[in-house]
This record gives sequence, C-alpha cells and structure tokens, in this order.
Amino acid sequence: MTYDLQFFYVWQNLDKLGRGVLVSLELTGLANLIGLTAGFAIALMLRARTPVLRVPATALVELFRCTPVLIQVVWFFYCVPILFNLFVDPMVMAVLALGLNLAAFNAEGYRAAIQSVPREQYDACAALGLGGWTRVRHVVLPHALRAALPVLMTNGITIFQQSALVALVAIPDLMYEGKMLSTETYRPIETYTVVAAIYFAISAPISLIVQRIEARFDRVQA
Amino acid sequence: MRPRLFPWRKATETMVQNKLLKIHNLHKSYGDLEIFKGLSLAMDRGDRLVIIGPSGGGKSTLLRIVMGLEDIVGGDVYLDGKPYILRDGGKTKIDHKLQARVGMVFQHYTLFPHLDILRNLTLAPVKTRGTPRAEAEAKAMALLDRFGLAAKARSYPSQLSGGQKQRVAIARALMLDPDLLLFDEVTSALDPELVAEVEAVMMELADQGMPMMIVTHDMHFARNIASRVVFAAGGVVVEDGPPEQVLDNPQVARTREFVERVFARKK
Ligand SMILES: Nc1ncnc2c1ncn2[C@@H]1O[C@H](COP(=O)(O)OP(=O)(O)OP(=O)(O)O)[C@@H](O)[C@H]1O
Ligand SMILES: [Mg+2]
Repeated sequence: MTYDLQFFYVWQNLDKLGRGVLVSLELTGLANLIGLTAGFAIALMLRARTPVLRVPATALVELFRCTPVLIQVVWFFYCVPILFNLFVDPMVMAVLALGLNLAAFNAEGYRAAIQSVPREQYDACAALGLGGWTRVRHVVLPHALRAALPVLMTNGITIFQQSALVALVAIPDLMYEGKMLSTETYRPIETYTVVAAIYFAISAPISLIVQRIEARFDRVQA
Repeated sequence: MRPRLFPWRKATETMVQNKLLKIHNLHKSYGDLEIFKGLSLAMDRGDRLVIIGPSGGGKSTLLRIVMGLEDIVGGDVYLDGKPYILRDGGKTKIDHKLQARVGMVFQHYTLFPHLDILRNLTLAPVKTRGTPRAEAEAKAMALLDRFGLAAKARSYPSQLSGGQKQRVAIARALMLDPDLLLFDEVTSALDPELVAEVEAVMMELADQGMPMMIVTHDMHFARNIASRVVFAAGGVVVEDGPPEQVLDNPQVARTREFVERVFARKK
C-alpha cells in the first residue's frame, strides 16, 4: 500500500490546532491549580486522626484512583447536571473532573512524601525544641514538598495527556480540533501525527526536568 | 504563661538538690520487651558519664528518655532538682522548659538537609527562643569558627563529610546553651579517619566543663573523656564508678565479663 503523505492541509490549519493547544493548556493549568491545592488539603485529611476527616478523604481518593478518567469526565459532564439539576459550562465541568482526579493522585503523593520525612528529623526537632507549626513550616514541609515535587510534576503532565479525553464531550481542545481537522481534510494520519507530536513536544521537556530533579535528589540523599 | 504541669514541684525540690540529673526507679518497655526495670542514676554538674553495655541493652533508649523523646512506664527524672519527667494519670509528663535545657547529638547527624549550615544552627534559637537573627548568626559563626567550619557556613549538609556534619550537629546543639549534652554513638557512623576530629571537639567541651552523657563503643575514648563510667545491663545499672574502676578493675562479675569481651574483640 502506498500512501502519499500530505502535510499541507495540516500546516494550513495549524492555527486551529494552536487554539486547541491553548484550551488543553488552560484545562491542564486549572486542573493543576485544583490538584495542587485540594490535593494538599486531602492529604492532610488523610493523615487526620479523626475518621470524620479521614474516611471521606480516603473514599474520594480511592474513587478517583479506581475508576477510569474517561468515566469520570463523562460522569461529570452528563450525570452531574441531571443529578443536581444544574447546568454549568462544560469547560468548568471538565476542569472539575480533571482537577479532582489530579487532586486524588496528588493527595497520595503528598501523603507519601510527608510519610517519607525520616523519624530522626522529628527527633532532632524535639531535641531543639522545635514543635507545632514551626516544625511543620521549617522542617516537615520543605522535606515533604521536595520529595513530592517529582510526583506532582509527573501527575501534572499526565493530566495534560488525560485532558485529551474531554474531546469526547465536545470541548475544543487539541484532540478535538485534531479530530475535526482530520475529518475536514481526510488526512487522519498526518493530522493525528502532528497532534501527537504536539502533545509530546510539550510533555517531554517536563518529563526530562522531572528526571533531572530525581537524579539530584538521589545524589543529595546518598 | 502556660499552666504549671507540676504544682507540687516546690515540695520535691529540696529532696534532690545539687544533682544535675537524677533518674529514679525508671521503668520502660516497648510492648512486651522490658528495657528498664527500675534503673536509677544520678549525675553531678562536673560529671561526664559514659554509658556502656550490651547491644540492645537500652543505652540509646536511656538517652532518648533523658532528652524527652520517649514515654516511660514508671519512675521519674529530675533535672537540676526539679521534676522533669514523670508518670501522672497514666501518662508521661515532660516539663518542656526543662527539656529545653538538654541537648542531644545523634549517631546519624540529623541535620536539616534543606537548610545550609548557618541556618541549621540558627533555626531553633531564632524560632523558639526569639533570638534576633543577627545575634544568632554571630554566635553560630563563632561556634563554626571554633570547630574549624567557618568556611562551610553556606554549604549544605550533603556537601560535608561525616565528621564535619557531626561537628555541625554538636555546634547546633550548643547554640541553645544546654546544661546537659547527650551523645549517642556519635562516631559510629564515621569512617575511622574522621573519628578523631569529632572526639577532639568533645574533649574540648569536656575541658570546658560541659556536663555530658555519652554512649560509645570506643573504650579508649571512654577512658579519656569519662569522669564516671556506668555499665548498664538487664535493665538496671550494674556498676558505676570512675573509669579506672569500671574499665580496668571492675568490681562486679558481670561488668568484668563484658569489659573483657569488649577488649578481647578490640585485639
Ligand atoms: N521504637 C522501638 N520500638 C520497639 N522496640 C525498640 C524501639 N527502640 C528500641 N527498641 C528495642 O529496645 C531495645 C533497646 O534498644 P536501644 O537502641 O536502646 O539499645 P542500645 O543499647 O542503644 O543498643 P546498641 O548498642 O545496639 O545501639 C532493643 O532490643 C531494641 O530493639
Ligand atoms: Mg544505641
């Protein structure tokens, strides 16, 4: 089979894909905002002594971790409006679905990072009279956030890729624009290849940075 | 003002005067494992106590208790004649004002890896004592200078050798002007050639009269630095006396057996 690759139509419509990229980045940015803040709050709840905080947080985390993101997006988009009788901008729903999903994964990352603070550090704090908020602010958090950083960044770019799922609910992100373009131009191979290349070009550098950071941590730890 | 933890303090003060530290009838367990079965020990201001004993005998636990890091099962600890740690209403009560007068250096340095050396030293005085930063930094620099570490003030712990880290850890403890300094096998994690520099710093502190409680496996160093050696085993103090007695001429059979075994291993 011979197929004559023709990228011309894709280049001509690059502005559409560009608009799609902006939507994807906006989704990713907002989802990360929720993921980083709500994720931290949920992590603190996971560590709470009282079950009133711990149980709902655990339930939320497991719910998001144990169902496909695709279902989560669809559910937020189709079911929430009916169940709660409210109609919200699809973009808001998409951000909520992705943001809460990310929050669940980040919460686990934060929790593991806080857990990873060595017991000796707490001993050192006690021996120096450092307690309460001072200890959290100056010892536990700097330690934990450093440990969490690679996980948070990895989760953050994963959500950038997962965001392609919102094309299914007609949000004009990169994936959606790509789909439209491929139908319009009858050039699916070229279009989807370019779309994939764009996803890659944005994710790969961040992934590399994560690797660098992890390598540095390993050195410092040793 | 926080409410007083020990309203009866006045009554007991006179009973235990003059002792810097007094541990009375200490009981401690980890689950079913009984570590101390009524251990008693007292220490004067001029004392440098070296604790020796079998591995797993509770030497670290003893220091951790004196530092206020562990719950106890029974007994009480007095610092400077004041009730410091005791059991009350089924709980371990620790007087945090007195705890602040004790300092500790750990086997694995436990420096704060995200702070540079200067910050490692100034964090506690600035945050918990309200010492002005400039004053704390001047004091820190003076200490670092004394320990030959002034050039490392802006380095991070990961950039230092084990011996340097341990000297920083000692300086960090000294920043709070402790009345009693605890050392738990502070040279055990070090390469042999780095041991001397840390021991030299400790000898210098000893010469200046710093009261210390030291756990070490280095019998040679123990003999040099100790004013008293305490052999603890089986949850109690078995023998307690000057190094010439406990290390060279033990009076109790059990001590003799231990000391002979340790020295035999050295040779
Ligand atoms: N947090 C803990 N939980 C349970 N058991 C513990 C704990 N800490 C110590 N132990 C046990 O208590 C006993 C005394 O421990 P400790 O570390 O005080 O001994 P040590 O005399 O310092 O020994 P070493 O010479 O090996 O350092 C050991 O059997 C140890 O396994
Ligand atoms: Mg020990």
